Amino acid sequence: MSQLTINNVRIAGMSACVPATVEDNRTLPIYKDESEALKVITSTGIERHHKVDEGTTASDLTVKAVERLLTDLGWAPEDVDIFAYVCTSRDYIAPQTSCILQDRLKLRNDCCVFDLPFGCSGWVYGMSIVGSLMSHGTLKRAILVAAETNTLNRNPRDTAVRPLFGDAATATALEFDPDRSHPMNFMFGVDGSGYDAVWAPYGGMRRPVTPEALVEKEVAPGVFRRGIDMIVNGMDVFGFAIKQPPRSLKELISTFNIDTDTVDLLLLHQANRFIDEKIRKAIKIPPERTPYCLEEYGNVTSASIPLTMVSRCSERLAGDDKHCIACGFGVGLAWASMEFYAGGVKCSDMITY
Amino acid sequence: MNIQEFIENFAAQLDETDEALITPETQFKQLDEWSSLTALSIIAMVDDEYDVIVKGNDIINSDTIQDLFDAVKSKRKPGAD
Repeated sequence: MSQLTINNVRIAGMSACVPATVEDNRTLPIYKDESEALKVITSTGIERHHKVDEGTTASDLTVKAVERLLTDLGWAPEDVDIFAYVCTSRDYIAPQTSCILQDRLKLRNDCCVFDLPFGCSGWVYGMSIVGSLMSHGTLKRAILVAAETNTLNRNPRDTAVRPLFGDAATATALEFDPDRSHPMNFMFGVDGSGYDAVWAPYGGMRRPVTPEALVEKEVAPGVFRRGIDMIVNGMDVFGFAIKQPPRSLKELISTFNIDTDTVDLLLLHQANRFIDEKIRKAIKIPPERTPYCLEEYGNVTSASIPLTMVSRCSERLAGDDKHCIACGFGVGLAWASMEFYAGGVKCSDMITY
Repeated sequence: MNIQEFIENFAAQLDETDEALITPETQFKQLDEWSSLTALSIIAMVDDEYDVIVKGNDIINSDTIQDLFDAVKSKRKPGAD
């Protein structure tokens, strides 16, 4: 089993930015009537999501989120030693978006800057990677972004995905703290045989964009897609999501001897309520310790966990250390679980773009 | 696992269809109330009851409840019955 323990790193602050435009699932034009819409809302728990307007990218939301977080923490842009950008909806094919953001955010030229193109597992993976770099002690302050514009890389006429996915950018500020007593613990997992459970078949090097890949086709009744659009094979993802995340969390719990009675917050990737409730029940964490934000924001992939923390837990995280376990899971198929303590965290008020 | 119990578990996922009308020969995807959401509750039921994860293709390639039953049975761990 691949496991990791990181010492001397704490979460100093968090922020999140969502676009102003809201799509309500009750009034989406893809349903024949409201009862059909309500059925989807009841089973997924997702009532609405935020959606970027044309021309806005994940990096635009990111600039707002990071600038606010730096201000609220009293950090100057030049204080940042690491800037990591978890995102799959990049601005350009090249270069990495994080390079452009270095300039837009006025970060130092010798800042350690990189993209991490993870999906739903991305915040947890990002915490492990950035935390590891910081634990050596020379890189003291980091910003980890988890951002996505899901509405741009999925087809609006794909009834299977439109009601579920939204857009958001989050920023997590991490600080080296030699006096920190609580470690962060991680478990990792991947099953590449499920690569086509969530994927965009065209637009990479194996299947470049062709005129054919831009033609919209009705692949099932009411489901329209182009070759370049992100496909979510709901049944395969669902089968994966009810099995692997509980297994991963149980591995985390047994490997690091976690007493689940002491867990204050179970932070799950916001896939849908049906899946997340199955995971919660499998590891027996009570509902009041399992915050959700999917009803308001939908599935925002890698931004799901930090968005839940900022929008639903800011008061709890501001106080004493809270014992948290988290699990991110999805495209890859990849997943990761972590245990950490968070206290005295400065969460910025929600930002609208 | 036996087919009668499988049918009962299957029927429990349906809201509008009379359980008495469900047989091994029922072409479940032709049911009026069949939807992608029904498919997900069947996948969850099979996981809960039989500890098997049904793939999308298992459902796509099954016409009757007997077909699906056979697919689940073939994926059971040895000695599970």
